[in-house]
Amino acid sequence: MSEVSDADIQRGAEMLRVAAEKGEPCPPLSSFLPADDLDVGYAVQDANTAYWLEQGRRLVGRKIGLTAKAVQAQLGVDQPDFGMLYADMAYADGAEIPLSRLLQPKIEGEIAFVLGDDLDSDNLTITDVMSAIDYAVAAIEIVDSRVADWKITIMNTIADNASSGLYVLGSEPKALGEFDPRLCGMVIEHAGDPVATGAGAACLGNPLNATLWLAQTMVKAGRPLMAGDTVLSGALGPMVPVNGPGVYELRINGLGSVRANFV
Amino acid sequence: MNVNELQKIAEIVDTAAKDGNAIAQLSETYELTLEEAYEVQALSMGRRYGRGEMQVGVKMGFTSRAKMVQMGLDDLIWGRLTDKMLVEDGGEIDIADYVHPRVEPELAFLLKRPLYGNMTPFEAMEAVEAIAPAMEIIDSRYENFKFNLPDVVADNSSSSSFVIGNWNRPDQDFSNLGMVMEFDGRPVEIGSTASILGHPTRALVGAARMAAEAGMVLEEGWIILAGGATAAAALSRGLNVRLDAENIGRVNFSTKA
Repeated sequence: MSEVSDADIQRGAEMLRVAAEKGEPCPPLSSFLPADDLDVGYAVQDANTAYWLEQGRRLVGRKIGLTAKAVQAQLGVDQPDFGMLYADMAYADGAEIPLSRLLQPKIEGEIAFVLGDDLDSDNLTITDVMSAIDYAVAAIEIVDSRVADWKITIMNTIADNASSGLYVLGSEPKALGEFDPRLCGMVIEHAGDPVATGAGAACLGNPLNATLWLAQTMVKAGRPLMAGDTVLSGALGPMVPVNGPGVYELRINGLGSVRANFV
Repeated sequence: MNVNELQKIAEIVDTAAKDGNAIAQLSETYELTLEEAYEVQALSMGRRYGRGEMQVGVKMGFTSRAKMVQMGLDDLIWGRLTDKMLVEDGGEIDIADYVHPRVEPELAFLLKRPLYGNMTPFEAMEAVEAIAPAMEIIDSRYENFKFNLPDVVADNSSSSSFVIGNWNRPDQDFSNLGMVMEFDGRPVEIGSTASILGHPTRALVGAARMAAEAGMVLEEGWIILAGGATAAAALSRGLNVRLDAENIGRVNFSTKA
């Protein structure tokens, strides 16, 4: 990590919190923090995680971001990133989502894995991940940026809880083996049009690969994934900007459908 | 425009396709209506039938949002498929035979009954014997892949070759099948059959309607290519190109080194 004072880390963390609370985006943190330093980004994110946990928010899982090679290239990195999921970010299928909670939302179609076992040992393998998954559901991740106009560098997005916003989970839990995580088709429909399409392979080749990366990374970070955690494993296709009220339906072949209802 | 003029234009696009040479956009010289462009296509493909090729189906184009965005157009178009355009599954093509070939993943329908006119998706599916994963090699004969709507229609809607995988039963849900197209094992395009008009059967319904408008019957045994499930990827030499389609299998071909 570059030479960065703790005061600057705290300053960045507070700017993002204030932006979220006031509903007014802030300028990029890169005016006083190194734009491409992942560790600085996570230090800012950690400061806010500590703050929110202290405030009583309940940690219910993680999101994985930057799981598309093209998006990694845009931000000049060769790895995904992660952010925290809190209970107040979760919505049920079709429930009304107030746009007032969001600044500049976009949505992505993903597979959510819910864990039945802890993933807290060293040297985790794909077998551990597959065995720990209780079920999968279709999920709409609503990403958002507290940074004005999404002018983010890798440090900015990581600091900003990996640009997470809210999420909606489907209601048809499926076991691994009941669908094809690599080849499952994904479509988001809005007003009768397919506005984004993709497939499982768009997420690091296979959403399970992304989940293994997260599990290993969380062990190293000292905050391992635990039974009951929800993992939003990463986008299966392009992001779709949400420009106003309306319903967006995600269908993932074999996993069913889920609706985000913005009001 | 009289038929002699249209015939002359048809010869220009036919020769370009036959020799794999780029030509200037027709619209720089001629003002073709969409109807005249389809006339040129019919006449140009007629020249190919005269050389012994046989029509074996039709292809639909501009059926996906990705495609519309890529091409800046929003109309459904169609072209004719011949037996000579069919590349065997696992076969090889030489990109020297093309101008600037691109490949896109598609879904193919095989007809067991003739289709003609306006119909419901259910009626259209009643005529379908099987579905298969497919790849279409598109190759605009125009310089820099640049064209307007009449240009591309006159140029057989950029169709040049196609590869069909194993046939599958059509009585399954194929509305949202994941499609992963790989060059040498690395994914280059990832999408879903849902990008074909939201449901590939809509492309089949469109094919029956548009063929009827042109006075053509989609015949028993014909193949209907429903349109690209992703954007097209440019081909180069020495590639193995593979499409992996959810539930319905694989199809591949290679390009000569």
